Amino acid sequence: MTTAMLDFLLQPLSEPFFARALLAVVLSGTTCACLGAYVVLRRMAFVSTALTHSILPGVVGALLLGLSPYLGALVAALLTAAGAAWLASRKGTSEDSAVGVMLSVMFAAGIALMQQANSWRDFAGLLFGSVISVGNADLMVIGTTGVIVLFGLRALHKELELAAFDEEYAALLGARPALMRVVLLVLVALGSVACVRLVGALLTTALFVIPAATGVLLGRTVPQVMAWGTGCALLGGVSGLYLSYYATAVPSGAGIVLCCALPYLVARIFAPRR
Amino acid sequence: MSRVIATLSRHLGDVVFSVLPSIPYAQKEKNGCPGIAVSAKQLTAAARLDGPVAFHDATFEIPCGCRTALIGPNGSGKSTLLRVLAGLTPIRSGEVLVAGESPRLGRSRIAYLAQRPHLTELFPLQLRRLVQMGTYAHHGWFEECQHGDEAIERALTRLGLSGLADRPVHTLSGGQLQRALIARAVVQGAEILLLDEPYAALDQPSREIIDRFLFEEGSAFTVVMATHDPADLGRFDRILEMRDGTVSTRHACSGHDHRHA
Repeated sequence: MTTAMLDFLLQPLSEPFFARALLAVVLSGTTCACLGAYVVLRRMAFVSTALTHSILPGVVGALLLGLSPYLGALVAALLTAAGAAWLASRKGTSEDSAVGVMLSVMFAAGIALMQQANSWRDFAGLLFGSVISVGNADLMVIGTTGVIVLFGLRALHKELELAAFDEEYAALLGARPALMRVVLLVLVALGSVACVRLVGALLTTALFVIPAATGVLLGRTVPQVMAWGTGCALLGGVSGLYLSYYATAVPSGAGIVLCCALPYLVARIFAPRR
Repeated sequence: MSRVIATLSRHLGDVVFSVLPSIPYAQKEKNGCPGIAVSAKQLTAAARLDGPVAFHDATFEIPCGCRTALIGPNGSGKSTLLRVLAGLTPIRSGEVLVAGESPRLGRSRIAYLAQRPHLTELFPLQLRRLVQMGTYAHHGWFEECQHGDEAIERALTRLGLSGLADRPVHTLSGGQLQRALIARAVVQGAEILLLDEPYAALDQPSREIIDRFLFEEGSAFTVVMATHDPADLGRFDRILEMRDGTVSTRHACSGHDHRHA
């Protein structure tokens, strides 16, 4: 029985593509879950959706120009954040609608560019994720962005927490809450670039929101929220990977997101009422 | 499990903070109260940049250590005046000095408590951490605060919160939260407290604790408090009345003058 179990778990690991995918899931799951804590606590889920969706035109545009897709994705995400901030800076446009405008414009631009590139099929992995195609270069990018994001979160922990909890007091202390918001948006842009390979542009928000939402149900401090969120992301990510390995009908991106939703559901039902 | 994560996080913090410089949030303040905590000359301000003027040509002085009540009907500009003194709202014209400097953000000697603080709801934060935020004023960027535990405990005890230190902030009552925010201002090292109707919707025990804290003998704070309660006014040293866009001083401060001079 146990040998069968072990075999079930170890057999996929003997394939290099699965081992690489597993490492990628662990790295970007941790990154997104920690970052997601602030996305959820600051109610920025919609902004993060816009950033992750804007990766589409970034990557397609970069491929058309012969540039690095990661660079294109990052530039597009930052452009979206800056554009939304600019649109919302005038009275009469709420931040909500500014983000909505940028989201749909960028995504439409992405679809138009895909038509230019003439091959929709090539971009399926971009939209829905293709964890099995993760190469060593991708792992390097995922690892580097992960280190940058976690470093930033740790270095600015007390400022990010303060700005998220009590913006006015942060301003009174001189701790620049507006700057902290920008820093957070840049980190989210970096984080989405890191996991677009795994779950695709359409589902990347899920990795920010679902684990962190689980963490918020269980944690009593921000670091605890991040820890529970990371646990949920790793559990969901790894089991999703196995699911898509054994049940080939389930694409890896969808499998990971569905498996992340399970711990959330359990926590939602059984977490002590706060 | 949580202990492992705490240890991991601490070690990661040690690495991160050892490579980063520590930069203060704002430029340093001059020390010592110059005898006058607040002085305003021909001060005019509006609640919003493009909005109507809230009060105009206000000229008044508040000595250090003086407890000042700010009275007047709703919409008379009490909140705007407090926000101007805190550095949150720019002035239209005139001159104002708080502890000898023009109001600006990043001054640890001045604390401001809004009437309804905009705190993010259901934020995972314990009371002790909320009070600890006051010490950030003395740290600055890229530093975790390890010091000030004693000051935090003392502030918690003085405001009757010592049993609640581990409680999540969102489970506190309005009075407990108000006391916690005052404790945070104390830990911050504030000498001038700008309070916008701190008694609104408080129960008697909370009110008494805050009262004792602000008005007890030997408490060295300069207090500027917006209030609606006429029964309250006897305890103040000075009353600023705001009406129809003007500010008038009703009676002078005695006994507390030049305490810090």
